[in-house]
Amino acid sequence: MVFRQGQKVEIFRQSDDESWESYMDEFIGMHGIITDPDTSKNDPDALIEVSLDEKGTHRFPQDCLRVITPA
Amino acid sequence: MSEKICKVRSLHDRLKESLQSRELTHPRCQQKASEIFDLVYDVSQGRAGKDHLAGILELANQLTSESLTPACRRLGEDVRHTVQENREVFESHIQTHSCPTGDCPMLTPAPCQLACPAGIDIPTYIMLISEGRYAEAVEIIRKDNPFPWVCGLVCTHPCEFMCVRGRMDSPVSIMDLKGFAAEKAMSAGDYKNPPKMPDNGRKVCIIGAGPGGLTAAYYLALEGYRVSVIEALPVAGGMMMVGIPRYRLPREVIDREVNMIVELGVELRLNTRLGKDITPQDLIEEGFEAFLLAVGAHGSYKLMIPGEDSFPQVLSAVDYLRRVSLGDHRLPGKRVAVVGGGNVAIDAARTSLRLGCEEVTILYRRTHDQMPAHNEEVVEAEEEGIQFSYLTIPKEIVGENGHLTGIVCLRAELSEPDESGRQRPIPVEGSEHTLPVDAVIPAIGQEVVSDGLDDFKEVGWTRRNTVRVNTVSMQTYQAGVFAVGDAVTGPATVVEAIAGGKKAASAIHRYFESMPQPELPSVPVRRKRTDFCQVPASLKMDLKRPEMALLGNERRRITFQQVRLGMSDEQAHNEARRCLRCDVCIRCGRCVEICRDKMGIEALKLGYMDFDNPGPTDLKITAERCIACGACATNCPTGAMQMKDRDGDRILSLCGTVLNRLKLEYCEICGAVLGPARYHDYIMRRVNEISPSLVGRRICLECARRNSGIHHAGIQPPKWK
Repeated sequence: MVFRQGQKVEIFRQSDDESWESYMDEFIGMHGIITDPDTSKNDPDALIEVSLDEKGTHRFPQDCLRVITPA
Repeated sequence: MSEKICKVRSLHDRLKESLQSRELTHPRCQQKASEIFDLVYDVSQGRAGKDHLAGILELANQLTSESLTPACRRLGEDVRHTVQENREVFESHIQTHSCPTGDCPMLTPAPCQLACPAGIDIPTYIMLISEGRYAEAVEIIRKDNPFPWVCGLVCTHPCEFMCVRGRMDSPVSIMDLKGFAAEKAMSAGDYKNPPKMPDNGRKVCIIGAGPGGLTAAYYLALEGYRVSVIEALPVAGGMMMVGIPRYRLPREVIDREVNMIVELGVELRLNTRLGKDITPQDLIEEGFEAFLLAVGAHGSYKLMIPGEDSFPQVLSAVDYLRRVSLGDHRLPGKRVAVVGGGNVAIDAARTSLRLGCEEVTILYRRTHDQMPAHNEEVVEAEEEGIQFSYLTIPKEIVGENGHLTGIVCLRAELSEPDESGRQRPIPVEGSEHTLPVDAVIPAIGQEVVSDGLDDFKEVGWTRRNTVRVNTVSMQTYQAGVFAVGDAVTGPATVVEAIAGGKKAASAIHRYFESMPQPELPSVPVRRKRTDFCQVPASLKMDLKRPEMALLGNERRRITFQQVRLGMSDEQAHNEARRCLRCDVCIRCGRCVEICRDKMGIEALKLGYMDFDNPGPTDLKITAERCIACGACATNCPTGAMQMKDRDGDRILSLCGTVLNRLKLEYCEICGAVLGPARYHDYIMRRVNEISPSLVGRRICLECARRNSGIHHAGIQPPKWK
């Protein structure tokens, strides 16, 4: 999945990536907006910035995200 | 999960229940419980002071020790246990005026503040700007971000993506307002540092003078630490200075804000490269007790194609932008190809144009809509005459006699989406062609250069070649060594680096004080409570986000003058008035439901309240339908919806937006306020069958009762048999 700025996404599962931290478990099921998709490479491995509704802005691995509304 | 329930709120609710249930039968017990409730209520409202917790515990102890009834003792023990077990939560409510769970409605930060990686109290500074109080606005911003002017020009503004106004029409120009306030305050000489704590004698060394490192330096200096910043480059600012071109971020802006940090006593050691000019051991011997690695991501990914290393005219975008920023304005070539689709590629291309390159082409292997660069940057580049060659894959760089002459490319097609939905560029057979150019600038990504960091032997690295930290505290595996910025995140944003710097400063302070590090990300702090800005609903609806004035295209192509020219005073004030004050209105929708379902009026059309499925919003419609009954205001948990009688009018307002204003009517007998005619008519329709004597008259309920009593004076009650 190529994520784009402004898309609404859901954190639908825990990521398998090493960058997933335990406090992020609380974010599963939450919705947010992609604010910084991947500044240069269109890399499926890049951590992308998501602003979560009521839970702040964080960088997440892409395997835990799915798009719920296109930009 | 248990941490999702606010302990302050749950104690508040239990106390309320106890008081209402009358289980506390003893009057003294009731009084003490009521006093505890008042104190807990203050905590949940953000009005508590430093003595509140002690007061609550004292009263709880009295309840327990006096043990007037079993219920009394149980309540006292419950209160004491809850406060002692959750002391940090209570203190956090008192100190930050924020509730991490959002259960305390008055303490829920606005979505924009939550979205800001640095957690800036955006609604407060926006309101201050609307009143022309720029220095105070800057003071509020700098509590969380020491670079308001820089971020006012180049922030990626995630806040604007979450701005609730964006669900109505377009988000408030939060970033531009920040830049406006900073510029105004700086220009007026009102941009001041806050007072710092006395020198505590502890020394902290920061490696890298970028946004993350300097932010940490700022907050540590304010805490009284002796901070030295080691910087390899001859200038401070890091990627702000050598990665972002001057037409987006003038050097003077960075210099002024860096100087404010230096004014606090922060020592800057420029032209000092770690591992070459100085080693960690030297620094330890100098007395530094904690280190912050903020080296950025100044390395570049290579194209990995033949010819890349054969010609001096192949320059990585990062090196090229750094060279230009440091004053080397030589042309890379007359015809330049920039490879990549991110913001750095756009910056390199637009810089080349300004240096005088005749033809600048961006080669990107995917399509326009898949470019990672921000759309407004792409549009501005197109306006300036940058050529874009999409679906183009570089294959080889060619030249003659050591001089680059072209780049061989293949055309590409996007594949069908794979399992993950990602389309890959596939070279088209036989599509090879050569683009004649004199210079090639690869801009396909950056990486951390770890030279000099090897001496921090216990610092761990991720598979992405970034420093491994706990992102809550920015602590590395090595005690006393912290890391922030691109060195941790990979190439990311200025505001993320600033957020990291603030977190690291707090963690370093805790390290020195031997305090435990936090386990969860911090909740943004409400810095102030500002009054609402009174705006009529029609104006609130009609005000549109201003178009930023841009430098003329002719000049943009030939100079490094700032492209975005800023807002006028009037634009800024009006833009600030578009803010919906989501720091107060928590969009619970109770007002809408009560108006629609209980009163049957449907005067509130606030579709913006729903994050996932926003509906239409019409603030003007309220004036057409609202009867000013006040049910919405009475049931608003935060005081966002207010109804007041003033100057003969009844006024309904939502966070200062005047939704309805109706003339008050008065009792024709005693002169008491009746409410507006619409409200009176609504009541009359409901009571005319049971009290027909009121029909057609404007009298209050008290007079109506008297009137009714006179009419029925002759009626005798039936005799009891």
